[in-house]
Amino acid sequence: MATILVNHLSFSYPTEDGKKPLTLVDLSANFPSGDFSLLTGPSGSGKSTLMKIISGLYPKFGGIVTAGEVRLNDTKIQDIPERDRGQLVAMMFQNPNQQFAMDTVERELIFALENQCVPPAEMMARVDRALEYVEISQLRHRQLNSLSGGEKQKVALAVIIAMQADTILLDEPFASVDPVARQLLLSKLSRLQREEHKTILISDHDLEDYDQYIDHLFVLNRTGDSLVLLDQEAANQKMASFNRQDTSKQHLNLPLATDQSTIQGNQLSLTAGTSTLLKQPDISFFKHYITLLTGANGTGKSTLLMAIAKLHQYDGSLLLQQKEIAKIRNKQLFSQVALVFQDADQQFLNVTVAEELALSLKNSQAQNYFKDRLADFLKQLHLDQLQDHVVYTLSGGQKKKLQILEMLMMATPVLLFDEPFTGLDFNSLQTIMAIMKQVAHDCHQTMIIVSHQLFGLDALIDYHVTLENKQLQYVEGLA
Amino acid sequence: MNPSLKFLLAVLIALEISFTNTWMVNVGLALIGLIIILSSRPNLKRLALLFFVPLIPAFALAFAILLQSNAGIHFALVLFTRIYAYVFVGSAATLTTSVSDLVMSLEQNAHIPSKFAYGFLGAFNLLPKIVSEVNIIRAAGNMRGQALHIWSPQLYFKAILASLDWSENLAEAMTSHGFSEGAPRTYFKQIRIRWWDWLIMLGSLGLLQVALFGLHLQ
Repeated sequence: MATILVNHLSFSYPTEDGKKPLTLVDLSANFPSGDFSLLTGPSGSGKSTLMKIISGLYPKFGGIVTAGEVRLNDTKIQDIPERDRGQLVAMMFQNPNQQFAMDTVERELIFALENQCVPPAEMMARVDRALEYVEISQLRHRQLNSLSGGEKQKVALAVIIAMQADTILLDEPFASVDPVARQLLLSKLSRLQREEHKTILISDHDLEDYDQYIDHLFVLNRTGDSLVLLDQEAANQKMASFNRQDTSKQHLNLPLATDQSTIQGNQLSLTAGTSTLLKQPDISFFKHYITLLTGANGTGKSTLLMAIAKLHQYDGSLLLQQKEIAKIRNKQLFSQVALVFQDADQQFLNVTVAEELALSLKNSQAQNYFKDRLADFLKQLHLDQLQDHVVYTLSGGQKKKLQILEMLMMATPVLLFDEPFTGLDFNSLQTIMAIMKQVAHDCHQTMIIVSHQLFGLDALIDYHVTLENKQLQYVEGLA
Repeated sequence: MNPSLKFLLAVLIALEISFTNTWMVNVGLALIGLIIILSSRPNLKRLALLFFVPLIPAFALAFAILLQSNAGIHFALVLFTRIYAYVFVGSAATLTTSVSDLVMSLEQNAHIPSKFAYGFLGAFNLLPKIVSEVNIIRAAGNMRGQALHIWSPQLYFKAILASLDWSENLAEAMTSHGFSEGAPRTYFKQIRIRWWDWLIMLGSLGLLQVALFGLHLQ
């Protein structure tokens, strides 16, 4: 058990011209030992930064602590030898792709245990137990690269369990995890807290599902200069505003016979490694409509989008405007179809926010439309003050907003979105969805959106397709 | 055979034949290499590549010698066979060893710092990702109306940026999983050097000297 004490902490990422703008300003808090605490705040407020400081990764890997300290059980975190830190505090990252060093699940677990000098004879028992605890024994020998985002997060939790860390930090861990897996992970964490008295601190902007698990709710404000513990009443109030919108009763239409299809699959099949993800006699996505695509983790939703963008091989036929996608030349294809990647960094081509926007504006298929509205969009998204920032230094949520905006600006006839809403706080989410709806309407776009996050989506989408048992199917409900 | 010693042996053989001019020994080494390669049951495509890819530099070298120098046909033959000896001996070592075994052996037997061992392993695991990343970067360019060709600086800028990012992520991932530079670790899979590993290595080198020397004396 360990108490985390944040004491008048200020933190800065120094810029190239020697300035030290403060990301976190004079924060103090006490995360009590053996409790389940939730840290929330808008995108860009510095939640990830604070988590990385507590885990001891910062300032080793970036930034500087300009004042104050973080103490774990009354010892300054920097004074705890790295080798002992793993037993005290372990961290699960926001991006599931960046937390493993080895190639397979089992090797990653063993690697962590070797680092802790666990006697080899004990290792297998610990690995077995950790995998069973998270119910992923079947993934044991899989390549980490071949796992879906949700599966990777389960493996990350298994590593933490095997390491037997006292304090578990999770930085927006559910961003790319479907609701079922999210529930599973949350209940496992809660069990760890109750039965093994682990201290758990999660950062998340989305408060759904947490009310039954957490003991304390901390709020970090937009400018990173206030970190407060809400009292019970205020916490309940804040949680209530997030309660899962009852999406089960929302009704959506099925496509009409008169709808014109723009993307059409015949005998389409998709595989990843050795497993078949999709086997579909026929499917269409319809012109000028916004279609939501949902399904559990690892079912192949992202893979389908990648196939439409010619970034993943497919068998059978997949047509865009009656032309076989595999045979369309890249340049021509990408003037028709664009994909908003799950990982925002992959989208960026330039260095600063202004350069990114300028490139999209220059090559936009609706240049005049966006020339008139860009300033307003930037303001709505709180990006207007960030023009000379380097894109890679933006927070997760800011990156997402910039990425969606610059891809909307291209006004490509078909726009595919792979989990566009991860890391966005409530207000940003509302704003970005309104902008998407407006642009899709004004520029006559067809959109396909893969999303786990369903909150408020009924206002945006026209149709809903589910991917289940290797089959795509239009459904009338949202949930 | 122990992976570290196996690679040391391959390097020593390659070094030695670089300074000798006996084509029969080169052929012999290539043949032994081929037998070891075949025993690892490679697929046909890989085998075909192993035969044909070295053909280009081997022929180029041999012809260059024949046309441009008066070293004679014997030296051309030496160079031609030497390329095949390099490739087959090298492949015999790599195709029969898994990367993780090699890294573990380098860490445990050759005592290279674990930072390098796991850094190398991490980089190796990234190789397939780099290929797909380059495709994604080019697609991202096309989607924004900017064609990135193989000579576009922007392609490399993005690729380098991505790898810097990965290397930092890898370092953070290793640290958060308890890895610490220079700290003692335990090993789940212990890799030892046994007496027969030394015997194979020293024996092979001895035989090579006998072959080279013997042919030289004739």
